[in-house]
Amino acid sequence: MNAPLGKTLTLWLLIGIALIVLSAPTIVVLGASFTSGNIITFPPDGLSLKWYAKLAGARALWEAFLRSVYVATVCTIISIPAGTVAGVALAKYGVRFEKTIQTYLLLPFTIPLIGSGIGLMLVFGNAGVLGSLWPVGLACCVINLPFMIWAVTASASALDPDLELAAANCGAPPLQTFFHVTLPAVMPGVISGSLLMFILALNEFLVSLLLVDARIVTLPVHIYNSIRSIITPDLAAISVVFIICAAGAVALLDRLVGLDVFLKSK
Amino acid sequence: MHDATTDAGAREAQGSQPVAVSVLDVSMVYDGVHAVRDASFDLPRGRFLTILGPSGSGKTTLLRLIAGFQKPTKGDILINGTSVNAVPPHKRSIGMVFQRLALFPHMTAAENVAFPLKMRRTDARKIPERVDRYLDLVKLGGFGQRRIHELSGGQQQRVAIARALVFEPDLLLLDEPLAALDRKLREEMQLEFRRIQRELGVTTINVTHDQREALVVSDEIIVMDHGVIQQKAEPSRTYRSPRNAFVASFIGVTNFIAGDARSLAGDTVVVGVGESEWTGVIGDKACPLNVGAPVRGAIRAEQIRIARDGRALEGAGSRHAGIVSDAIFEGERVVYEVRLPDLGDTLMRVFDHGPHDTIAVGDEVYLGWNPDDVLVFDDEAGHP
Repeated sequence: MNAPLGKTLTLWLLIGIALIVLSAPTIVVLGASFTSGNIITFPPDGLSLKWYAKLAGARALWEAFLRSVYVATVCTIISIPAGTVAGVALAKYGVRFEKTIQTYLLLPFTIPLIGSGIGLMLVFGNAGVLGSLWPVGLACCVINLPFMIWAVTASASALDPDLELAAANCGAPPLQTFFHVTLPAVMPGVISGSLLMFILALNEFLVSLLLVDARIVTLPVHIYNSIRSIITPDLAAISVVFIICAAGAVALLDRLVGLDVFLKSK
Repeated sequence: MHDATTDAGAREAQGSQPVAVSVLDVSMVYDGVHAVRDASFDLPRGRFLTILGPSGSGKTTLLRLIAGFQKPTKGDILINGTSVNAVPPHKRSIGMVFQRLALFPHMTAAENVAFPLKMRRTDARKIPERVDRYLDLVKLGGFGQRRIHELSGGQQQRVAIARALVFEPDLLLLDEPLAALDRKLREEMQLEFRRIQRELGVTTINVTHDQREALVVSDEIIVMDHGVIQQKAEPSRTYRSPRNAFVASFIGVTNFIAGDARSLAGDTVVVGVGESEWTGVIGDKACPLNVGAPVRGAIRAEQIRIARDGRALEGAGSRHAGIVSDAIFEGERVVYEVRLPDLGDTLMRVFDHGPHDTIAVGDEVYLGWNPDDVLVFDDEAGHP
């Protein structure tokens, strides 16, 4: 409170720089999307909503966007049961080889995405499912599952171990205990984990790039393909829509479980 | 106040009731350490038993073995005459109030109380009526729709009691549920447990480290230390005739005088400390003392009288001069700590309920007591 003026100034300066660096890309994209010119520039060349109007008619963009939503949904649906069961088991039960399993589950983080992407491409290619969209969702689930497990584990570790004993004491067999007591108690972790999985899968680029073909591009891949030919401001506009989706998910998270819970869940 | 006749009456009543819980030679070993060693006792139906002991004495382990959360390493636990070693906890008819209550946070008070009924497949039409009846029993009528975090600590206690009793279990277990409450609420809830237990007549096992609680609520007390049952008796017997030095020290404010047994005559022991001697009676008649063995005499603070003038203590039997080393004002009484030079500088705690301002620290005083009140124990017994 009584810190010398110089210290306060330095602190605020650092905070200011950090805020600018962190938000600059978003501001630039946001600004560029409102341009009235025909190329992406920042600051925008006049103000207009014409690129948003054009978005409404750009079928290829919307289809790519819906495909991304589909991939994110598949990923989330798979990761909820898998991540919840794994997270609860690791946190609460004396699983054998617990450390080994934990390391194994974290492996996807240590392998470069390009490596796991090529691996998944080979696996799906052999299985003959390359060219459908759902394997992309599965792939997103595989590479991001540790986030889900972490979120659930954090909730489950905070759980009073007596709660499950109390349920048994009330006459609940193990399965009933899980559904009536354990699952509701770890629900904040499940919700924050699955929203995170959804956002990550929605944004996933590198692995999607390897797994999709020209007919089933997801939005990030579509944008990437487009900027290689011509950079038009509608890409900035769709990026803004994208950012709004992610922000919406975060707002939903805050409403459902509170951001503090999410931030604490590592 | 209990006396010998009511104790005998209690034993008679106990004899006429069938045994609800039998613990037979039960041991529990964790990593080679005995948490419970060879524990055995019977509890007749409808009785209120308290297992009393310091932390780490094995009392909670014993309770959890009875609840079925763990399997004993050795021995057998019988409920209503049937061994339950192979019965998982959810199939035992046992209600339990946990130390941290373990109420389900995502349910209302009424949903918490209804949970055991749902799990035990009670007719769904009868559940609301039964839940209301038990919420009324714990004086929470009208609070059923509250969430757990909207209730005060005392109200949460009551929900936990209702949840443990609503399915009319054969046995109620209390795992130190009052430990976290402030003193006033704790004493109120002790009487509440007693009232509900008497009203329903449910066999109850309570675990606590609070000696006052044990004396107030129980029909019987088991004192445990280092995993071993030290004594099982009615509260008044536990207090008046502790079986060893540990029980004597754990319940009540007890003074110990050390020494060597010099001579034995009947129950009377003469003990020497250096040049001087003191007299007491054998504490545990089942455990004979040997002349020359190191012993400890236990005497309650309230059995010692204090006076500035030795003549005021004529007829006290034992009388010793000492110096007041501390005076602690506790409101209704003053506790004096008095050093007795002729008993090896033993520090004695004495209560004074009278006019308080006559004795000060540093004063020379006399302590007097009846030698029959000094219980002499073998120094080794009760010290595993």
